[in-house]
Amino acid sequence: MSGRLGLLPNAMLIQFVLLLILLVALSVTWKRSRQSVISRSEALVWSLVWIVAGAVILLPQTTTLVANFFGVGRGVDFILYGSVLALFLLVFKLFVALDQLERKLTELVRRDALKGFTDKHD
Amino acid sequence: MIQQGIGMKVIVILPAYNECRGIGTMVRSACVLVEEVIVVDDGSQDETAVVANHAGARVLQHRLNLGQGAALRTGTEAALQLDADVVIHMDADGQHDSSCLPSLLEPIQRGVADVVFGSRFLGDAPGIPWTRRALLEGARLFNVLGLGIPRRVTDPQSGLRAMTRDAALKISFKQDRMAHCSEILRLVTRSNLRWVEVPVSVRYTDESLSKGQTSMDAFKIAWQLFLGVFAK
Repeated sequence: MSGRLGLLPNAMLIQFVLLLILLVALSVTWKRSRQSVISRSEALVWSLVWIVAGAVILLPQTTTLVANFFGVGRGVDFILYGSVLALFLLVFKLFVALDQLERKLTELVRRDALKGFTDKHD
Repeated sequence: MIQQGIGMKVIVILPAYNECRGIGTMVRSACVLVEEVIVVDDGSQDETAVVANHAGARVLQHRLNLGQGAALRTGTEAALQLDADVVIHMDADGQHDSSCLPSLLEPIQRGVADVVFGSRFLGDAPGIPWTRRALLEGARLFNVLGLGIPRRVTDPQSGLRAMTRDAALKISFKQDRMAHCSEILRLVTRSNLRWVEVPVSVRYTDESLSKGQTSMDAFKIAWQLFLGVFAK
């Protein structure tokens, strides 16, 4: 099947774009390592993440193997479920952080309200 | 005055948000019975603080509206600073009548309880709509199943409670908004504090109902309590 422009198959086009993004990420990672913004071991961990992502993009059937292990039919579905779960956890973490911030604000307002309370009323 | 009879310093806390119409009456009726009344003005935009002050209350002001739970906590800390022996939490919207203060204090006075909760379901609650009753029954079920609060607690959202100084120091409630009622119930019933419910009369007026909780608030309370588990 040919793509919209008739130059690349659909699957290859998305693979090409994603791999390009990963190559940029890999290059930025090592650039930051050279700039000493991140350590060499951090750069290695991130490089591993990008390489694994690249392998999944080039060999999408590998995700199906993992998906089948968890009882999910297709690899794409597995990634989608995982992404929804990850997003849910991130949003929940944000809610908790907001709650903690509110508690700090409450404490600040309370300290302000109680400042000199007993002195003022003695 | 009650405290003269029981030899304890009793302080009433009234959390108030835009209550300038009724706060004066509430303060004056409570001042007759106890020596100290603290009004925590929770960021009101009206003259609540001025009216409460003129009526004879000590007034604390939150610069922002934080919620009833936060105001009660501030008031409780102020009462402890004033060496209160007993701290009483009341609603300022006219639902609670000061005449129930003696019965609320009686178990503490007799030394049989550290915390006393007022219960609408043991007393008269004229005008309580069936929707509110159903909502409170749902809250009671949630308290039992979700929070492990004993079923014998009849009023899951009572805003009228009295506690000894030791109990007030021990109960560290953190919920700023409406969830503080369930949180306090949970903390008290799971501690070694002695607690009891007494019947109280609650007046439901159009104003108190408009400021009261809705079905949606029940979900908000459950969500706030859930978040509170993680936000230490």
